[in-house]
This record gives sequence, C-alpha cells and structure tokens, in this order.
Amino acid sequence: MNTGWLIGTALIAVIAAPLIGGWLKGIDRRLTARMQGRWGPPLLQPFYDVIKLFGKNPMVAGRTQTVFAYAFLGLTVTAVVFFALMQDLLMLLFILFFGSLCLPLGALSVKSPYSQLGGHRELLRFLAYEPILLLAAVPIALKVDGFSITAILEHGEPLLPGLWLTFIALLIALAMVMRKSPFDVSSSEHAHQELVGGVLTEYSGPYLALIELGHWYEMVLVLSVLGLFWAAGSLWWLSIIIALLGWLVILLVDNTSARLTWSSMLRFAWGAGIGLIALNIVLIHLGWM
Amino acid sequence: MTDALVGLTVLFPILTGLICLLFRSRKARGGMVYVTAAVLIVSGLFFLARGVGPIEYSPDAGWNSLITALNYAILVYFAFVAGRDILRRGASRHSVLSLVLAVAAAIPVAVFQFSGMSHGASGASPVLYICHFSMLRVVLVSFVGALICIYSLRYMRLHEEQQTRLGGLIGTRQPRFFFYMLIFMGAMNGVALSNNLLWLAFFWNLTMLCAYALIRHDETAQAITGAFRTLWICLIGGVCLSVTVILAWQGPLNTLSLVTLVEAGAVAYPMLLLPFALLCVAGFTRAAQPPFHRWGIRAALVTPAPARAMLYPFKTIGAFIILYLSPAFHGTHLAPFLAVFGATGAVAFALMAISQRRSESALVCSVISNLGLIILCAGIGTPLAMAAGVMLIIFLTISMVLLHLSTGAIEQKVGGADIDDMEGLARRQPVLAGITVTAMLSLLVAPFGILISKWAAIQAAPAIGTWSALVLVLLILSIGASTVFWAKWIGRILCERPAPTRASREPFVAQYHGILLVLVGLAVLFSLLIAPVFDAIVGPILVDAGYDPALAFITERWFLRTAGGVFAGWPVFIGVALALVLPLLTVRLRPETGRAAYMCGENVEMGSDEFIAVGDEKTELKTGGFYMEGVLGEQRLERLIVPAGVVLLSILIALVVI
Repeated sequence: MNTGWLIGTALIAVIAAPLIGGWLKGIDRRLTARMQGRWGPPLLQPFYDVIKLFGKNPMVAGRTQTVFAYAFLGLTVTAVVFFALMQDLLMLLFILFFGSLCLPLGALSVKSPYSQLGGHRELLRFLAYEPILLLAAVPIALKVDGFSITAILEHGEPLLPGLWLTFIALLIALAMVMRKSPFDVSSSEHAHQELVGGVLTEYSGPYLALIELGHWYEMVLVLSVLGLFWAAGSLWWLSIIIALLGWLVILLVDNTSARLTWSSMLRFAWGAGIGLIALNIVLIHLGWM
Repeated sequence: MTDALVGLTVLFPILTGLICLLFRSRKARGGMVYVTAAVLIVSGLFFLARGVGPIEYSPDAGWNSLITALNYAILVYFAFVAGRDILRRGASRHSVLSLVLAVAAAIPVAVFQFSGMSHGASGASPVLYICHFSMLRVVLVSFVGALICIYSLRYMRLHEEQQTRLGGLIGTRQPRFFFYMLIFMGAMNGVALSNNLLWLAFFWNLTMLCAYALIRHDETAQAITGAFRTLWICLIGGVCLSVTVILAWQGPLNTLSLVTLVEAGAVAYPMLLLPFALLCVAGFTRAAQPPFHRWGIRAALVTPAPARAMLYPFKTIGAFIILYLSPAFHGTHLAPFLAVFGATGAVAFALMAISQRRSESALVCSVISNLGLIILCAGIGTPLAMAAGVMLIIFLTISMVLLHLSTGAIEQKVGGADIDDMEGLARRQPVLAGITVTAMLSLLVAPFGILISKWAAIQAAPAIGTWSALVLVLLILSIGASTVFWAKWIGRILCERPAPTRASREPFVAQYHGILLVLVGLAVLFSLLIAPVFDAIVGPILVDAGYDPALAFITERWFLRTAGGVFAGWPVFIGVALALVLPLLTVRLRPETGRAAYMCGENVEMGSDEFIAVGDEKTELKTGGFYMEGVLGEQRLERLIVPAGVVLLSILIALVVI
C-alpha cells in the first residue's frame, strides 16, 4: 500500500461517513415519525439543519466548550480514519472514547445547571457502553487471532455464527452510543424535560453543528464495527444488511420504550452487555463456540 | 564503579539527611537538598546511560554486622514508639498491633541468626544485585524523589507558616522532615539494589520508618493514628519478609539471594512457592492492596503533600517486587490467581475513587487501582504483560507524582482539598490548572503511555486461559470507572461561569511551576517516544528476566507492534494535536458572542451566578460533582472489599500450602 492510496482511502472515509450518517439520520426521523403517526421531515432535513446551524451567529458560554466541540469532531474523525486504514480495533476505540469524553468535558466546563446535569449523566452513559465496546474486541481477537481490522477481513469466514452473543451486546452498546431510548439519560431531543438539552444545553449555532457532524461519524463508525461481523468471505455485502438491521432494531426499541434511570441503565449494560461477552469468551476458551 | 553507584544513590542521601538534621539553618537545608537532588539525578542518568549490566556486588563483611544491628534498632524503635503511645494515649488497636508485629518481625531474624542456622549465610549470597530492573527503580526514585524534595522546600515553609498562624507550632520541624525525606530516597534505592534477603529486610524496614515518621509529621491525633495504622499494616509485610529469610535459607537452594531464587523459579522448585507467596503478600501490604488498603487512604488525609508524593514510590516498591518475581512463578497456579487479585483491587478502587470528595483520598484510590493493574500484569506473566507492567510503572510514577504535587500546590492556593473547591481553577490559576488537567489526561486517554500499557495488558490477558474472561471484565471495568473519575474531576477544574472576564495571570514560581512543567514535559515526551523508550529501557529488563523482547513489542517506524495488534503512536499524537491542541491555541471569540448560562430565562444578569427563584429572590447557583456515595461510597464498598480481600488472601495461602 503506498501513501497516495492511504490518503485516498482516508479522504473517501472522511467525506462519505457524514453523508451516510446524515442520510441515515434522515431515515431515522422519517421512520420515527411514521411509528408515531406523523408524516415526518424530508429525508435531507438533517443536512438542511446542519447547514443552517453553521450559518448562525456564534453564541457561547465559554471558550473551553468551543474547544471541546472541535475536539469531539476531530477525534471522532481520527477514529474513522483509523478504521478506514484498517488499524488496530482497540486503538481506534480508545481514540473514539477520547472523542466521546470531549462532549461531557465541554458540558462540564460551563457553570450551568442543565449542562452540569447532562455532563455528569453523559459520563454515566459512557461508563455503561465503553466497557462493552472494549470487551467486544476480545472475543473477536480470539477468533481471528489479532486485534487489527485487517486480521478480521483476512479471516476466511464470517464472525457472526461464533460471536452472536457479542453481537447482541454490541447492539445494546449501539443504542447507548446513539443516545436512544431507553438509554437517553444524558440528552434529550425534546425540551421541557428534567434535563432540558442535557449535555447539549449550552451549545448552539455552528458549535452545535460540529457536534451533530461528530455524531454522524460516531454512528457510522459503530455501525461499521457491527458490519465487521460479516465482513469476510464472498457474502461481504451482507455486512451492510446486518449493520442496517441492527440499526432498525435500535429504532424500534427507541420508539417503544421509556427512559431508564442511570442506575438501571448501568445495571443492564454491565449485567446483560458485559455478561454476554464474558460468556462468549468463556465458551471460546472451552472450545464450544 | 559499583562502589560509586551504591555510594552516590544510597549512602549520599542518608548522609545529607543527617546534615539537615544536625545543621538546622534554612540555608544549609536548602543547599543540602539541591546538592542531593543534583547528585541523584546526574548519577542516575549517568549509570543508566552507561548501562550497568547484571553485576553482583558485596561490600566488606563489616557492613553485614552494621546492617544487622541497624535492622534490630529499627524494629526496637518501632516497638518503643508503639509502647510509648500506649502509655501516653492508652491502648489502641493500631499501637498494640504495631508493638506486637514489630516484635514478631524481629523474632524470625533473631531465630535465624542466633540458632546457628545462619552459618555462612551472610557471605554466601551477593548482597547487592545491579540489573536493568534495579537501575530503572533507582533512576525513577532518584529523579522524582529529587524533584519532590526541591518542591517541599517551598511547600513546607508555607505549610509551617500556616501552622504557626493557626497556633500549635512552636519552632520548626523542617530539619526532621528533610532528614526523613532524604534518607527515604536512599532507603528506597537500597531496596531496589538489595539482593540478600537480610539486606532487603533492613532497607524495607528503613523505608517503613521514614513513611511512619513522615505521616506523623504534623503530630495531630489523626496523624499519629494514621502513622501507627501504616506501621502495623506494613509490618505484616515485614513479618512476611523475615519468615521468607528462614524459608529461603532452609529451602532447596540454601540461599538468601533473591536473584538465585527467581532464576530457579517455582516450576522447577515447588518448595519455593511459599516464600514467593509471602513476598507477594509483603508487596500487597506496601501497594495497599485489599485488604491492606486502609492505611493508604487514611495516611493521605493527614500527610503534607510532598510526603504524600513520596509515599507513591514507597507504595510502588510492592508492585516492583511482585513484577520482579513474576517470571519465577509464571506457569504455577499462583500466577492466574494473582491476576484475579490485582484486577479485583483495580476495579474496586477505581469505583471507590468516584465517591471520594477529597482530592488526597481520591488520588490514593486511583493509585491503589493502578498498582492493582501492575499486579495483574505480573500475574499474566507473559513477556507482553511484563512489558506492560514495567511501562505502567514508568508512566504512572511520572503522572502520579506530578498530580500529588500539583494538587498540593492547588490546595495551598485554594485553601481546601475538596475536589469541589477546585471549581473554576482554570480561570483563577490557568497554568496550574493546565498542568493538572494534562496530568489527568495522561492517565486516561490515548496516546499517553498509561493507556498504551493498558492496551497491551488487554492483549496479553487471554494468555491465562478461561480465567481471562474474569480478569478482562475487571480490567476493562476499571478502565471505564477510572475514566469517569478523572473526567469528572477535570470537569470540576474547567467549570466556570459565563463571564466576559479573562483568565487571571499567574505568577511563575520556579519551585512549583518549574518542577511541575518538567514532569508534564516528561509525561508527554515519554509517551511520544514510547517505542525508543521500550527499546532502551524495557527491552533489556525483559532480557534480564529471560524473555525475548520481540515477543512483547516489535518497534517499527516508532509503532509498537504486538503479536496481534499495532499501536500507531505518533499518528495518534498528530490526530490529537489537530483535534484538541490546535483549537485550544487558535480559537478566538469576540466578547459579544458571550452568553449567560441557560436558567429557564430567570437569570439575574450576564456574568452573575444568580437566578431569580421563588418569591423573586435572587439565589446563587451552586454546582458540584456526582459522587454517588449511596452506591459507591467508601463505607458501602468497604463492606465488600475487606471480606473479598480476606477471602482472596486465604485462597492464596491455601493454594500455596496445598
């Protein structure tokens, strides 16, 4: 692989990821509306929103929060680039986590009641999903004998049959990454709730747009990790179907469940999510999976 | 050459410590501290650069009798102070146990020496053994120790001024303080270089004496209690060490030489498992692992900041010794057990740290948690895990000492040690806040060395088989919990109310900011240069331990490549620089973009914390961190941790004896 090829791949990923993410977000809003008996916005509405946000006058509650908005986007993009370059899965997860931490740090940097509440809850959400994502890398590595994405792609057969327990755990983590019900403790798309905008309360205009873009990258990255479960072999295109199916399940659950308290969320994540993966690791060691 | 090394790193600080005690003027003290710091740093770097290979070294036989006599003297002193405390303040659990255990630590050594058992023992084993591992320990202790001592010149002066203001201090206790600080460094270097178990026991007890004296330095009732608590818990380790002396000499190899025991290993000589387990227990007491953790947390609350920082290398001695023994019990059933033990401590204290309101006890929880990770690495015991453990020690020493010192400086400025007192520090003390936040980030995010070590530990863990599922779950939960803990704290430091004012300027104090900046620089530089650091420092240690460094990492274009993964260190650094550092340096905001925080439209005015509450009354907004004391509070967790620790220890003993 030469340098030009590497840069090209990285560029394509950086450009394509938000397009896919925004488009998925559009479908999300449309489907959600239909499930709630509404018509819903146009498919491209998320793009219109972000473009409009970028055009607004900046209004900020402190310099630090703007720095963290840039850092959230920048680090998430870095993680996406490392994914596209098929680097170490654990390493790119660590970068993704650094990016995700910038959001609560930005929220906590403003002395604002709702922002503080949202920031702390965001940290609890982080505590719920971060271990699941990290631990999920281990059974994958045990199967393909390595932590790099190249190793997964070079592994001759799809991972899902031996790792379906891990896959279910990752779906739980995906719902938390996307801040979907029942795991939307840290921010809410609807005002007039106990946490107002939560972690996003103090963000507006162009800085909110940066964060929205970052969310699209984040979602595409986690969906890509789901896709890795069927990325090898001749039926590689099934990976896209599997990722989208997982995403649909999350939407369905989002519209049929209410917000959990943070303690129930942690219990569920640590009990079900981590329990499933730990079981998977044990079964692999025993040679049963 | 070896004479010079031992003389400069062990005897010299002890000598200058004595001078500090005898010549009580401030100038003499300052001079001695600077000279000692310079000598320790220069000699440490010099010997590191020259690469002192594995050398066995025994000084004149006369030293053996002196060391023996001094060892008894220290134990007698422990018994004496404990007895005096019982007479003065009445019998308490801590002083009685100190008395009993000081005697108990002396008995095995006395039995060994006076029963004729010891015939030929002192000469039979090389007294000191200088290898890459012990050199690393000497360099780390000398370097951070020297910086801590320079820092304490200013800190202790301000500390005593404050104490005098409050009344209760007449004269100065600084000569005594620096006496113990300086010989503490010599003693810790002595522990690092000792190979003969009798010498090891002496230096081990000497470090305990320094820790005891520094913890009770303020002489308040809590300080004295804290010192005795530390003493008796650490003396359990002293007793273990004394018993090990007999077991090693009566064992199959008939030796007191630690390196001989380690090279023989417990796989070839199962009889050695018991002494190794006892040394591990001694390490647990030092590293404040459960159930021996309580001294660490309590002592931190009563000790002046520089002494608290010095207690960090003191605790690491425990992790070092377990890591050093790791190749010796690799392959026995002790190893996976140790991994589970370390992981349990790591996750328990990472969680407990979240509930701590005071910065000192929160830091100590984090220290205990991280030392648990090192023990976990020692338990896994593969070359990769060993490398991860050594790198953890290097990076943690820099970052943890840095944090102890910076929170000490903040505490003096802010006048409180609560984490919530640090709210808005970024505006009040921007430089100090920046240093502290960087140090905290170095503990929790990629691409800093500590996270790279944890990355390596995750990769190494599957090697221990089915138990790895448990170890990995605990390890990863500890990473998650500690991330939340640090992020929460960083959030408190950065938290400021929206106001058009700029950050205030902060006067530069060389003894504080200079030292802290050196440490921050090292934390960043070492992380950036992690591949060369591995090749130059960690690789030779693995070779000494009989491992092939290539089985841990292959460094290629400054990437760290393991058997299963690769950490692209500098590209990640570039990513972080572009994403975080660039906006930090370049974002400029016009004043008119500033807006007050959202308070449902009930703000009083821009730049004020107040909002209009019930009855149109102006009420000040107060914010604080989450501590979740109901779930993760110390009292609640203690009820789980202590029984868990006792059960795990009992299993350990049972495993070894059966």
